[in-house]
Amino acid sequence: MSIAKVRPCLEASGVRKVYGAGTAAAVEAVSTVSFTVPHGQFVAILGPSGCGKSTLLMMVGGLETVSSGSIIVNGEAMTGPRTSIGIMFQDPTLLPWKSALDNVLFPVRVLKRSMDDYRQTAYGLLQQVGLDGFEHKRPHELSGGMRQRVAICRTLVYDPEVLLMDEPFSALDAISRDEMNELLLDLWQQFTKTALFVTHSIREAVLLADRVLVMTKRPATIVEDLAIPFARPRSIALGENRKFNEICRHLRERIEAGHDRPQALRRGTAIRRREPAT
Amino acid sequence: MAFLNTSEAAANGRLLRLVILPVGFALATIALWQILCQALHIPPVLLPPPSDVWTVLRGNYAILFDETLPTLNESIASFIVASVLGVGLAIALTFSAWVREALYPNIIMFQLIPKIALAPLFIVWLGVGETTSIVVAVFIAFFPIVVSSVTGLVSAKPEVLRLCQSLTASEWQAFRMVRFPYAVPYIFAGMKVGVTMAMIGVVVGEFITAQHGLGYIIMFAAGASETATVLAAIVLLCVIGLGLYGIVGLAEWLALRSYGGAMPISGVI
Amino acid sequence: MSVGIPAAAASRGVPAIGSSLRRARPVALPIATAAATLLLWQFTAVRLQISAVILPAPVEIAHELWRALPVLISQAGPTALDTLLAFAVAAILGVGLAVIITYSPLLRDTLYPNLVFFQLVPKVALAPLFVIWLGFGSTSRVAFAAFISFFPVVIAAAVGFARTDPAALQLCRSLTASEWRCFMLVRFPFALPAIFSGFKVAMTMAVVGVIIGEFISSQAGLGHYILNAGSRLNTADVFAALGVLCALGVGLYGAVALAELCIRRVYGRH
Repeated sequence: MSIAKVRPCLEASGVRKVYGAGTAAAVEAVSTVSFTVPHGQFVAILGPSGCGKSTLLMMVGGLETVSSGSIIVNGEAMTGPRTSIGIMFQDPTLLPWKSALDNVLFPVRVLKRSMDDYRQTAYGLLQQVGLDGFEHKRPHELSGGMRQRVAICRTLVYDPEVLLMDEPFSALDAISRDEMNELLLDLWQQFTKTALFVTHSIREAVLLADRVLVMTKRPATIVEDLAIPFARPRSIALGENRKFNEICRHLRERIEAGHDRPQALRRGTAIRRREPAT
Repeated sequence: MAFLNTSEAAANGRLLRLVILPVGFALATIALWQILCQALHIPPVLLPPPSDVWTVLRGNYAILFDETLPTLNESIASFIVASVLGVGLAIALTFSAWVREALYPNIIMFQLIPKIALAPLFIVWLGVGETTSIVVAVFIAFFPIVVSSVTGLVSAKPEVLRLCQSLTASEWQAFRMVRFPYAVPYIFAGMKVGVTMAMIGVVVGEFITAQHGLGYIIMFAAGASETATVLAAIVLLCVIGLGLYGIVGLAEWLALRSYGGAMPISGVI
Repeated sequence: MSVGIPAAAASRGVPAIGSSLRRARPVALPIATAAATLLLWQFTAVRLQISAVILPAPVEIAHELWRALPVLISQAGPTALDTLLAFAVAAILGVGLAVIITYSPLLRDTLYPNLVFFQLVPKVALAPLFVIWLGFGSTSRVAFAAFISFFPVVIAAAVGFARTDPAALQLCRSLTASEWRCFMLVRFPFALPAIFSGFKVAMTMAVVGVIIGEFISSQAGLGHYILNAGSRLNTADVFAALGVLCALGVGLYGAVALAELCIRRVYGRH
C-alpha cells in the first residue's frame, strides 16, 4: 500500500439513474451506488440480468447521463466519452467490409492518428490473442470467439487507461468463454490497466477479478464488496480450488437473497433439492 | 435469385443445369413460336413469327438505331439525376430527425400513388419534348431510391454507433465510416429499381408525346398494324433495359467488395 | 447534481417535450408539413397571380373537384373495376405458379430465372401489343395490368414458400402429415407476409397498368380523363382527377393492407 495519497482512478458517489424522471412511468435503473477503484485494479460487477449493472458501466464510460450523484475518473468528472477509456460490448460490432486488421485500427482512424504508428501494435496484439495469419480475414470468415478477440485488440490498440467491459463473453459458447477468460488473464499480466468487468457469471467474476461488487435489482444497488484473495498469475485451473468454490457459493447465496424467486421453489418442493441453509 | 443458391449449386455441379434449363426453355419457346406461326398460319398482324422480327431488325437497322439513342440517353440521364437527388435527399434526411419525420412519411405516401398518371401534368408544364420525358422518369425513379437509401442509412445498428460515440467520433466521422458504408447495399437495391422505373417513365412519356424514341416507334407501328416492327422495338427496349440494369448490378458488385454487409445484414452485427 | 452529455449520435437534434406530444409527433409532423405546403401553394398561387394553366390554387382545384365529382366518380368506376380484376387474376395465377415452382425443382430451375428476367425488362413497352391482340376495350387493359402485376406476386410468393423454416416442415412430416397438409399448416402461413408484400406491389402495379392502358387506348376511365384534360390545358381538372386517382390508389392499397391485418389475426404475427 502506498503511503502517499494517490487519488483513486475511479470515484463514484451517490450515483443514481432514473429513466423517464417526473412521469408516471419513471424507472429507477440504478439506485445510489458509491464505490472507488484504485489504479490497476480489476473489478467485476456481478449481478442478475436487469439489475442495472450495464447502465452503471455506461455512466462510468460517459455514454449515459447520471440522474444524480457524480462519477470522477482520473480526477475529472465524467461529462462524455473519453479516449482514455476503452469500452468493450457484448457484441463485437466489427465492420463487415473491413479486414480484422482494419477493424483493430478503426479507433486510430477515428482519432485521426497516424496509421503507420499503430500498425505494428495492431499486428502485435492480433498475434498475442492468437490470430496470427487472420489479419486480413473479413469478420464473416471468423468465428464468434475470434471476433471478440479482434474486438479486444481494437479496445487495446489505442492504449486507454481504463477498460470497461460489458459482458463481453456472454454470447459465446462455454468452451470459447473459458478460452477468452484465459486470454484475458494472460493479457492482464502484461497490461496493468484499471478495469470494470460486468458479468452475470459468478465463476467468471471470481476468476478474473481482484474485487467483486455484487449488484441486485430492487433496489438496483451494490450489496457486497468482496476482495478476491487469489494471487496472480492465475489460470483456469483455479476453478477447481476449494476456496474458489466457497467464494462462489457465498456470492450465489448473496445474489439469491436479493433475487425475486417464485415462492413454490423456496418451499423445497419435490422438483428441486437445495442444501439446507447453514 | 438468391434462393436458387448458385454457390451451392456450383459445388454440386448443378450450375450447368441452372443455366441450361432456363435458357433452353426460352429458346424452345421461341422455336415453338416460329413453328406455330407457320403451321397454324397465324396472321402476321396478330403475331408475326420470330423470323419476321429478325428481318425488321436487320432491314431497318439504321432507323431503329436512330430512335434507340434518344430513349437510351434519356433513360441514363434521368437515372443519374434521380440517383443524385435521391441519395442526396436521403443523406439530408439522416442528419435531422425533425426533417426526416416531417418529410419521410409524405414520401412514403407518394410511393402509393400511381405516379405515372402525373405524366400529362408534366406535359402541361413542360410541353412536348425530351425534357418532359426525363422529368417524368426522374419523378418516378426518385422515390424508390430515396426510400431505399433512407432505410439503409438508418440501418446501422445502435451498437456500432455507440462504439463510435465511445471513441468520441464526430457525427460526420460516424456517417462517413459507418452509416454510409452500411447503407451501400440498400442504395444499390434502390438504384436497381430506379433504373427500371426510369426506363418506364421514358417509354410512357414517348407513348403519349409521340416525338421520338423507341416508345414512339412502338405506338406508330402499332397504329399502322406493323406488329413485327412493334416486336422489334420491344426487343431493343429489353436489350437496353437489361443492359442498364446489368451496369448497375456490376457497379453494385464492385461496391460490395469494399462496403456494406449483406442485405439483409446477416454478417457480424 | 446531474451531469449533461451531448446527445447520442443515433437520435440527433430532438428536443424533449411533454411525452404525449412526443408520441403524437410522428403522425402530427408529416400531416402538418403537408398542410403547410398546401397553404404555401395557395398563398403563392394567389399572391404571384400564377396562371391557372400552370399552377391552379388548391382552393380552385377543390372547387373543380366538387363541380366535376359525379363525372370523376363515374370515370373512376371503370378504372377501379379493371384494376381489381387485373389484381385478382395476377394474385391467383401468381400464387398458383409459385406453388408449382416450390414443389417442382425442375420447373423452378427452368422458370424462375425467366421470371426474374421478365421482371427486369421494361414490360410497359408491351402495352400497345396487348391493344393489338385484344382490341381497344377493357380486356386489353386488364390483361396488360394483370401481366405486369403477375411477376411481383410470383417472385414474392416463391421466395416466401422457399424460406419456410425447415425445422417446422420437418416437424410436420415427422407427424406423418401429407404434403398438402404440410403446405396448408406450415408453408402457407409462413409465407403470408411475403405474399402480402407481393400483393401490395401488385396492386400498385395493377393501377399503373390500367392507367397506362387508358393513356394509349381508352375512351373512358380516369387515365383517359387526365390525358384529355391535359390536352385541353384544363390543369385544375387534371389535379382534381389526380386527386380522385390517388384516393383510389391509396384506397385499394389500404384494402390489401387491411386484408393482411385480418389474415394476420388468424395466422399470427411473425
